[in-house]
Amino acid sequence: MTRKSRNVFLIIHLVAIFAATAALLTGLRIASLSHTYLHWLSPVLPQGNMHKWHLLATTCFMVCVLAYFIFRLYQAKVTHSKAMRQPLAGFKKYHLWVNRFGYITVLGLICSGPLLWLQMWPVTMAQIHYYAALSLLLYLLLHSYVYVLQYGRLLIQRLLTPLVQPHSQRATAMALLLLAITSTGLYQLVTANNSQELKLLALTNTTPVHIDGQANEDFWQHAPSITIHTSGGANFIDGSTNVTIKAAANANESYFLFRWFDPTQSLQHLPLVKTPQGWKVQQNGFYHFDETEFYEDKFAVLLSKQCGHGGDNTTHLGLQPFADKPANWHGKGYHASLDGKVRDLWHWKAVRTDHKRQADDNHFGPLLQMRSGERRYTAGYHADGKESGGYVMNWQWYSPSTVTPKRLPNPDYLTQPHHAAFLPWFDSQPYQPELDHFPLGTQLPSVLYRSNQFEGDRGHVAAKGQWQQGYWTLEIARKHNTGSAHDVELANGTCLWVSAFDSSQTAHTRHQRAVQLHYPEQRDAAGAVEFAMATTPSKEWQ
Amino acid sequence: MKQRALYSLLILLLFSCLLAWLQPSTPAVSQASRWQKISPQGQRLTPWQGPWACVWDKQNKRLWEVKTDNENIHDGYWSYSWWQQTEAGLERGAANLGDCYFESTRCDSQDLVRRANQQRLCNVAGWRLPQIEELQSLLQSNDRAQQAKMAVDYFPHIKAGDYWSADHSQALAGAYQHLGQGALAINFYSGDITPLPYRNAAFVLLVSDQAPAGVEMTQ
Repeated sequence: MTRKSRNVFLIIHLVAIFAATAALLTGLRIASLSHTYLHWLSPVLPQGNMHKWHLLATTCFMVCVLAYFIFRLYQAKVTHSKAMRQPLAGFKKYHLWVNRFGYITVLGLICSGPLLWLQMWPVTMAQIHYYAALSLLLYLLLHSYVYVLQYGRLLIQRLLTPLVQPHSQRATAMALLLLAITSTGLYQLVTANNSQELKLLALTNTTPVHIDGQANEDFWQHAPSITIHTSGGANFIDGSTNVTIKAAANANESYFLFRWFDPTQSLQHLPLVKTPQGWKVQQNGFYHFDETEFYEDKFAVLLSKQCGHGGDNTTHLGLQPFADKPANWHGKGYHASLDGKVRDLWHWKAVRTDHKRQADDNHFGPLLQMRSGERRYTAGYHADGKESGGYVMNWQWYSPSTVTPKRLPNPDYLTQPHHAAFLPWFDSQPYQPELDHFPLGTQLPSVLYRSNQFEGDRGHVAAKGQWQQGYWTLEIARKHNTGSAHDVELANGTCLWVSAFDSSQTAHTRHQRAVQLHYPEQRDAAGAVEFAMATTPSKEWQ
Repeated sequence: MKQRALYSLLILLLFSCLLAWLQPSTPAVSQASRWQKISPQGQRLTPWQGPWACVWDKQNKRLWEVKTDNENIHDGYWSYSWWQQTEAGLERGAANLGDCYFESTRCDSQDLVRRANQQRLCNVAGWRLPQIEELQSLLQSNDRAQQAKMAVDYFPHIKAGDYWSADHSQALAGAYQHLGQGALAINFYSGDITPLPYRNAAFVLLVSDQAPAGVEMTQ
């Protein structure tokens, strides 16, 4: 190898070391969301907006791999074939086989990463990507550690000294610049394509729409659909589920239809059970805000004007991603919007909001002030303000041992054949010990419905879900523009992400590329929507 | 090479120890707060303990009632007209024009004062309507949407409405001018202070100058 060739190799090698290390560390942090046994590594893993940095590191690593491939092709031409055929022995043979293992590992990574991003064979690709990343960790150990044992401090000298020689500095700088420009270009290309388009079907203002979770309006048969693979949730098969999305709009409102596979309809939400010690909340993680057993099914929709990575840069992973704010209880991270722009969040809850025919209208905003009296800090996750209504929990003070309910059902409760998953306010009475004649083992709902829906900013989203034969179908309606500073306008280019929760409080599925809404309307002077109705029923929904 | 292997194993061992030492612990409660939770029986609680019925203001040395949503006499939804009967038997205001469930007739501010003192809420007496300055001292910034501008982690169930103060004989203006006089009230959402007619139904947050046993000496 000539001196020039050696320098090119060393530069690619050096950049690849940094890129692979950054990609591994950020990737392991992302993986720790689903693979909780990785939490022991948490102290050495980076925290914060990991999706953006992971993508940046991996694009840089891929450029290094490409550059190395070109370099090897060039070297093969200029190297004598006889020399290549010389038998290897000792450490050289060891490194040859370790490098072959490394090539397979890297091939697995650079194939599975982009295919995962493109949502092609996502379950398989996710597994290949994860195990290839662990293999890369092993490779780095087998490769670099043995070199360290062989050469000690001399290794650093051999890797770096040639690059900083006076006659090499310019070439080194140029090569680094070329790698940086190519990596940035690839990153920008990926960022620019970080969404998939969903066309909304045009409706007239007189088209009736019933938000009932039935999807039996004719127009849904004609609406284009898109299916998103979401993964990383709790309880779903392989932690993942596909979400099919359709959307339609008239001049005033947008309508969404979401359908996802969830073999179990979970309507138990932290139920109260009477024990010899008193009423007890059934939970298996709620005390640490990560319940995955006694919890309702939920669905969340995130909306933003941009389609940035990691839910438009609202995902901040780690135990304490913000140094001056409290740590979270589950070690997964926080949501927050740190650029001064609000991201809208619709949070449908199968027990707490469904029978109110609403989704909880929330948003991601700036980091909230800490409050010493609250155990759970939610960072940038805010509920929109409400005038009144909604639900409250049926305990006076939560304790993992026993609780005192706020209200007890009317005396005929036990004789009723079916019980709702919630307790209506006016079918119950204030708790008094002398009224508590319920036998041991009695279960009560922990959700108390106020007499009215959420009123005000928090009540902008109408929603109703139906579970049938292993699928949830959820219809949602909202005005294009509510006028609230905490809502994102539904317009051309609005980006959307979805998450499904299977009987879990915080462990939700997720996906990387956004769904970008396309309203193909041409508004006339009166503001009415004018665009052709699709005529071919979509097959994906059958 | 053996020496390098030995050193690297040593480094690995140190790294493992460091990792074990740095393993995350659960978030810890902060004791640095102006407010002190007090149980219904008058015992001090830490910031994450509950249930609590009163809050001790360490800064101003006052004990505040905490509103509830369990339909007892302290429920935050109950409203009261402003009415007062002095020890000399002097009556002022409008009796029984608010809404609550705990009186056979409707409610006024004196009903809640009487009940809280009978109950010895948080094991103290001396519950009374606060002065407007005392209510104002509760105001602080709140970055949560549409919540009261006060420490709602200690004072939950505060409604978006007016809260009576003890400041009576205030001249009414505007649409209320013909009613003559009323009492000052504060809105914790806006921070506005308004004279309201005694007959109006507004909310009440009681205060006491007495400290539960064991609280004062610790400050």
